[in-house]
Amino acid sequence: MIAATELTKRYGDKTVVSDLTFTVRPGTVTGFLGPNGAGKSTTMRMILGLDSPTHGTATVGDRPYAAHRAPLQEVGALLEARSVHPGRTAYHHLRALALTHGIPRGRVAHVLDLTGLTDVAGRRVKGFSLGMGQRLGIAAALLGDPATLILDEPVNGLDPEGVLWIRTLLKSLAAEGRTVFVSSHLMSEMALTAEHLIIIGRGRLLADTTVDTFVRESGAGTVKVVTPEAGRLTQLLAAPHVDVSSSASGTLDVRGTDAEHIGRTAAAHGIPLFELTPHAASLEEAFMDLTRDSLEYTAHLEQA
Amino acid sequence: MTTLAPATAPAPGPALSPARVLHSEWHKLWTVRSTWIMLAASTVLTIAGGIAIGASYESGQAADFALDPVQFLLFGTQFSQIILAVVGVLFIAGEYSTGMVRSTMVAVPRRVPVLWSKAGVVAGVVFTTTLTTLVVTFTSGQLFLDGTDKELSLTDRGVLGTLLGSAAGLTALALVGLGLGALLRSVPGGITAFIGGVTVLPEVLRMFPYDVLDSVAKYFPGRATEGLMTLHDTPDYATTGPALLALTLWTVAILGTATVLLRRRDV
Repeated sequence: MIAATELTKRYGDKTVVSDLTFTVRPGTVTGFLGPNGAGKSTTMRMILGLDSPTHGTATVGDRPYAAHRAPLQEVGALLEARSVHPGRTAYHHLRALALTHGIPRGRVAHVLDLTGLTDVAGRRVKGFSLGMGQRLGIAAALLGDPATLILDEPVNGLDPEGVLWIRTLLKSLAAEGRTVFVSSHLMSEMALTAEHLIIIGRGRLLADTTVDTFVRESGAGTVKVVTPEAGRLTQLLAAPHVDVSSSASGTLDVRGTDAEHIGRTAAAHGIPLFELTPHAASLEEAFMDLTRDSLEYTAHLEQA
Repeated sequence: MTTLAPATAPAPGPALSPARVLHSEWHKLWTVRSTWIMLAASTVLTIAGGIAIGASYESGQAADFALDPVQFLLFGTQFSQIILAVVGVLFIAGEYSTGMVRSTMVAVPRRVPVLWSKAGVVAGVVFTTTLTTLVVTFTSGQLFLDGTDKELSLTDRGVLGTLLGSAAGLTALALVGLGLGALLRSVPGGITAFIGGVTVLPEVLRMFPYDVLDSVAKYFPGRATEGLMTLHDTPDYATTGPALLALTLWTVAILGTATVLLRRRDV
């Protein structure tokens, strides 16, 4: 469980994170979304005590991160990929971190195995590819068998196989009851991995919602229907979660239900359809609309 | 979370402790090549310097009567002291330049135990290796000095004490390097500050025609360490007690400032 309360970070007169309040719950993968420069990394660094907030607090498991007696058991973190001395071998990097907590050698071997690094454990990190570096970062994050994972852009630089591996890993960690908090600037990636979303833009909270709700409320679920009996079909489709609008005479844009349901309803009532097109406005577009709106809104506010 | 609840219970499992952080820093020091290379280089330079000076010495040379019989054999430390300080600078500033410091401070979020463990490791390692090196240097240099006016034995009065003091001085310089590395968070910055502040500045001060500046210069870390290397007190250097005190104060002041800033600054 991660809780941020009015978290704010200013550098001089530049506000990087502004009044963020949110909770990240155990048992699900929570995506932390925002364009580059939105303040995601700074927020994660404040949760981990690397940066101190200008205002507000962040706690992990009911107390500040630094107050835990075994911090690595509380949180495993992947920050920027290169948080490693390149002259040290992968094994010795993990061993040095493990020693701070008295974590046994066997656990080091285990996380190397889990991340597929056993064969290169004796090699210096200098020669690692970006993907291997990310795997080493994940291995370090898992070292303390932590209750919470905080991962900053874990799929950056990974090949498709690596992306799939991370996705599966994160879901299985959440399924074990852990809190998993993952940042990304890619909505499409989060839609596949996360269940819950916290979206920020320019350091401000834009949305704290589930992926399902976000998908339903974005344009992604719109179906275009062309029919001579638009009025009757609208009445037949009426339901609490269904939203029907009309952009032109005889044309309906239906949200909240799918093409199959519309087609079957029309057929059951003998309504002819000339067109039935699911409109695939991507999640990425919806996400960009959301963040773009917020940027314009804040820019406008600052001018006023 | 429920499955991991024991993590917060006061169980005897993994947890931070000062001794464990110290062990981690010890492990870090020895698992990068630069440590081995630099300690080997400083040892070889110091011993080679002692042998070269000892072998080329002929008694009775007019200019040589003022040479201190212990200090002149430790001539190589002029170079090795900089290497040892670089060991200190790299040990912490290297973490900032590589990004390792983020991993370190996430593992030890209270931060301060990291700096003090590094100081403990540097102190122990540098003192032990330099003391050994200095004893070997003195003994090898003396092999060539039988029958000269500089002939001395390790067991002669004051010799071992002088070597102990010298090792302590060189250890303090390495700790000053560590402190400067922690303050400046930059390898080139730390090395420049060390060479500038410890080696160059006191010499510059001595160039001014004021006695007070000359006296002040004696208590700068580099000159105080040189003073510890002399068997006999001379007006050129601070005497042993004040020199050790000055070195202790420098080290504590720099590491103390680094501690305060480490706590306050963002990583």
